This record gives sequence, C-alpha cells and structure tokens, in this order.
Amino acid sequence: MILQGKRVALPSAPVVHKQFEAHVEAAPDALAVSCGGEQVTYAELDARANRFAHFLVARGHGRGAKVGVCLDYSVDMLVAILGTLKAGAAYVPFDPAYPAARLQLLLGQVPGLALIVASRATAGMVESAAAEVIGVEELPGRLAGLPATAPDVPVTGDDLCYAVFTSGSTGTPKLTAVRHEGWFNLMNWLKLEYGLDSASNNLVVSAFGFDLSQRALMTALFCGATQYLMASRNFDAMLAYRLLTEHDIRTVHCASSTLYLLVDWETARGGDALTQLDYVLFGGEPLKFERIADWAQRENNYCTLLHQYGVAECTDVATSYDLDGHRPCDQDIAPVGKPAYNTEIHLLDENLRGVAPGEYGEICIAGASVGAGYLNGSGPENEKFTTVVVDGEPRRLYRTGDRGYVNEAGDLVVAGRMDAQVKVRGMRIDPTDIERALGRLAGVREAAVVVTYTDAGEAELTAFLVPAGGELAEDDLRNGLLQTLPRNMVPARFVNVLRLPLSPHGKVDRAALVDSLKNQYAGSGTAA
Amino acid sequence: MIADRVRAIWCRELQRDDISADDDFFALGGQSVIMVRIQGAFIEELGAEVPMDQLFLNPTVASISAYIESLSAVTK
Repeated sequence: MILQGKRVALPSAPVVHKQFEAHVEAAPDALAVSCGGEQVTYAELDARANRFAHFLVARGHGRGAKVGVCLDYSVDMLVAILGTLKAGAAYVPFDPAYPAARLQLLLGQVPGLALIVASRATAGMVESAAAEVIGVEELPGRLAGLPATAPDVPVTGDDLCYAVFTSGSTGTPKLTAVRHEGWFNLMNWLKLEYGLDSASNNLVVSAFGFDLSQRALMTALFCGATQYLMASRNFDAMLAYRLLTEHDIRTVHCASSTLYLLVDWETARGGDALTQLDYVLFGGEPLKFERIADWAQRENNYCTLLHQYGVAECTDVATSYDLDGHRPCDQDIAPVGKPAYNTEIHLLDENLRGVAPGEYGEICIAGASVGAGYLNGSGPENEKFTTVVVDGEPRRLYRTGDRGYVNEAGDLVVAGRMDAQVKVRGMRIDPTDIERALGRLAGVREAAVVVTYTDAGEAELTAFLVPAGGELAEDDLRNGLLQTLPRNMVPARFVNVLRLPLSPHGKVDRAALVDSLKNQYAGSGTAA
Repeated sequence: MIADRVRAIWCRELQRDDISADDDFFALGGQSVIMVRIQGAFIEELGAEVPMDQLFLNPTVASISAYIESLSAVTK
C-alpha cells in the first residue's frame, strides 16, 4: 500500500534561505520579525544575517559546519539561524530552559560542533572544550564592518540545514539531520497547498528544540509574511493569546496538547482570536477531539484545523488532514490525511512488503523529505533508514515504527507503535534515558519508566523504583531529576516497588507494571 | 494576605494541602499544564496578570506572592 503525494517540481537548488532572499528583494521594507519591543524589516534581518554568515565563513565555519544556537526567542535567534544557513552550515537548536547538565550531554552528541551562539546568561551552561561560545550581546561589535550582502557560498538541496535531538531507544538522544531540499519541500507544500502568502503572519508557540519549531520559525519568512515571537522562555498562554488578539496573526503551528491549552484559554475567557485564525497546523500525538469539540464546532469558527503527522527524521510533517467542518469524521481516531508534495507513505509488513489496502502496516516515509540520518554514531536506529525496490526502482525510506492503515477515503490513520516508544505531550520520550538518570540518583537500585494515562486521558510518565535502602521520597526524586532532565521528562508519579516484574525473556515487564497501578491507590506507594 | 490566597490556589490546583511557603512547585509534582491553570486563576481571582516566565522564576508561594505584591504596588 503506497500513498503518493502530488509531484511538484522544485527549483534546481531548493535552498530555504534563497526563498527568504527573494522576499528581501521584492519587499525589503516589509516587517519580517516582531518580538517583544523589537521589530525588523526583511532588509534589516537579511543584512544582519549576511554579516553573521561572513563572520562564520571567515572563521572557517562555512559549508558543512554545525553551529549551535542556544538562545531565547528573539530577532537575534533568526539572525543566527539565517546567517548559519547563508554560510552553508547547519544549525542545532538548544533550548536555554534546559538544565546545564542536559545541555552538556546534548552538546557532547554533536560531532564537529564549531561554534555556539548563546546569551551571556546561558554561556556558562554551554561551555565546551570543542566549540567556541559567542555571546549574542557581543555580536553587534563583532559584526560591525562586515559586508551586508550575502557571502558567495554555493548551497544545494542536499546540504544539511538543521539537526534536532529526538529520542532513540538506547538511552542517548539521537541527533537527526535534515536537508535543505526536504525543508524547502515542506514549506513549499504548505505555501502552495494552503495558499499561504505575505499575509500569513505566524506566531511561534512551541519550544525551540522541537522539530516543529524549526518549521514554525521559518514558514512565515518563506512566504514573505511576518514572524511573531513571544519574548518568553516558557510557553505562555496568556501572552500568546494577547498577541493573537492584538496582531493580525493568521497561523499557528503547535503540538496537539498546546492547541488544547490555547482552546481552554479562549473558552474560559470568551475571546475569538483563535477562531479567527486561518490555520492551526497541529499534531505530534493522537488528537482527542472531545478536548476541542465545543470550541471547534462553535458558530463563526473560521479556523481551519490541519491535523498533521510526521517524524523529525523526515523533516517534520509528512501528511496533513483538513478537519473539514471541524468533525473528525465517524471514526474514533482522526486521520492524518494525505502525503505532502513529493512524499510517499509506504505501509509495509515486517518483511518490508506492502500490505493490502485497509490492512495495518508500519508507516514508512520516502521522497524529498527523507533526512540525512543520525549524526551521532552508529546504532540500531540507523537501520531504520533503508532501501526498498518499488516497481523496479530503489526507494530510500525511513521506517517510523508507527503503525497505521489507509481508510476508505484514502487517508492515513495512525494507530500506535510497532515498539515501546512513547510520546508525552507531543514529545518522543525514551524511557531508558530517564531510567538512566534515575539510576544515578542516590538510593535507587533499579528503575523502570512507563507511560500511563490520567482520568482525562492525558499521557504521563510513571516511574517504578526499587530502593537500595529505605523507601524513596517522591519530592527528593523529582528534585534530583530536575537537575539533569528537561521538565517534561520528569515523571508525574513515582512508585516504590520491591522488585521489577520480568517477562519470560528476562526483560522488565512494562505491561505488568502498568497493570499493577490499576489495582491500587493511584499515587505514591508500595506495590508488587 | 496575598500569600494565603496564592497558597489556596496552589493547593487546589496541585490537589494537596501540605504546601508550605517555600516548597518548590516542580518538586511538589507541578507541571506546566497546572502552571497554565494557576496563571488563569491568578487573573480571575487576584486580578494579577503574571507572565509564565515569572511563574517559573518564582516557583514558591512566598516568591510568587512577593512578585504579585510588587505588581499591585506599581499599579497603585
């Protein structure tokens, strides 16, 4: 079973910053970025990015280099990103809200990291033996006198544009890199398919490290519109809603759970800014339509909801479904729709043979968006990039590990995982990563982390711990983890157990752990 | 005074009644989703618009209460 996206010709060099530069030429005085009190035009943003590109090239960090960006949302962030691309390099986003220990672990996973841009306040957290750290406050001084025109760096569609961290299954985050062609293709598809143009101003509401944030940051600039940023390190529904109300913002890209929070905010306070948007493009986790049903079915709700599916390894979005009439159709699970341009969805069995229409298979992605793979070392994950032969032609594809089928309308429906990978609030989580962090805490002999569901159906993490001595206090465990993990990786619940149940194969029996919760008081306590 | 009302909101949203003035929100099991509800409650019940960054920077009843008092001092 193959779903074939429309074939749409791309330019000979599908390079993201060239598209931005075309808008600079056509409308230099148009507003490019607005963040807090700071606003810059396309011409100003371009000139600053060009100077930063020259700065990188002069230091030998041109084509093929990797540049870390550890900044809060700001005009400078987009200067750093566009400048990096113009230099022919790829950027790696680092969220300054992460604990220093986590940032250090991630930095160590970037081979050949040349340079990191950080603010003075966070520079200490990203200090690295291998890479130079440049304070963003020093940039104006350092860039003064450099040319405001673009450096002459040949960049092709196969060059890397960014790399983001995703969860693998080995306990170490994987750094997955994507190519200009894939990113260009993604934004070109959104632009043409949904008619985005210079009026499609966007507000970024997601955290910088996410793959979806890279697209959210760049699509407005790809289309000649204004990119609005929140001068906030953390997602702020109040600020976001204020910006949506005060400015002519037309699009928002977000995780499903963020959409729920925005809808809750509007519903509780009776505004209409969300319903007046052109598009909310959302996904990353199964839609719970009942969470937004009342809002979605409001009269005069003009917002088109695009329920999307994709993976970071294949440049973010692979398919999109228009929740037409704001109903998820008659099925329990909202479909994720049809493929992006130049994208194929293959549903394969365990022998990599296509399944029949309507049958379940592993969702595999082929086409322009397939990324360059993982940059940090070899591992079983690399085997998920493979080649199959279709109609005598080899196709490079990525096996997502997601399970799905194609319904009668020809739309893809995602239905769980082939393996144990879990997602919490749209973020892929590797339980081993958290188990390792728990194992390093004093008094923990063994730990297992599983995903559980609240009464409201929200996914959350529960940690089961075998103490080395006395029972472990929940608050101590949390405090310990908050030193080394991002907040969204810290489990919501901790359960002390005498031992971890094992499957017949000698592995931790996660299903038995989940079952054990159903039979007892749902909180901290002693089980098994 | 404000601290009592802030503490009552925290206890309600975190569903525990053993919160003291210097307990850390995240160590109490607080998550960003709960923080959004607290942010909303501060607007509705205290008339205080507190940015999320300030809620994260002031993760105890004592410190966020002091912040809210500084807000009302400015508006007076």
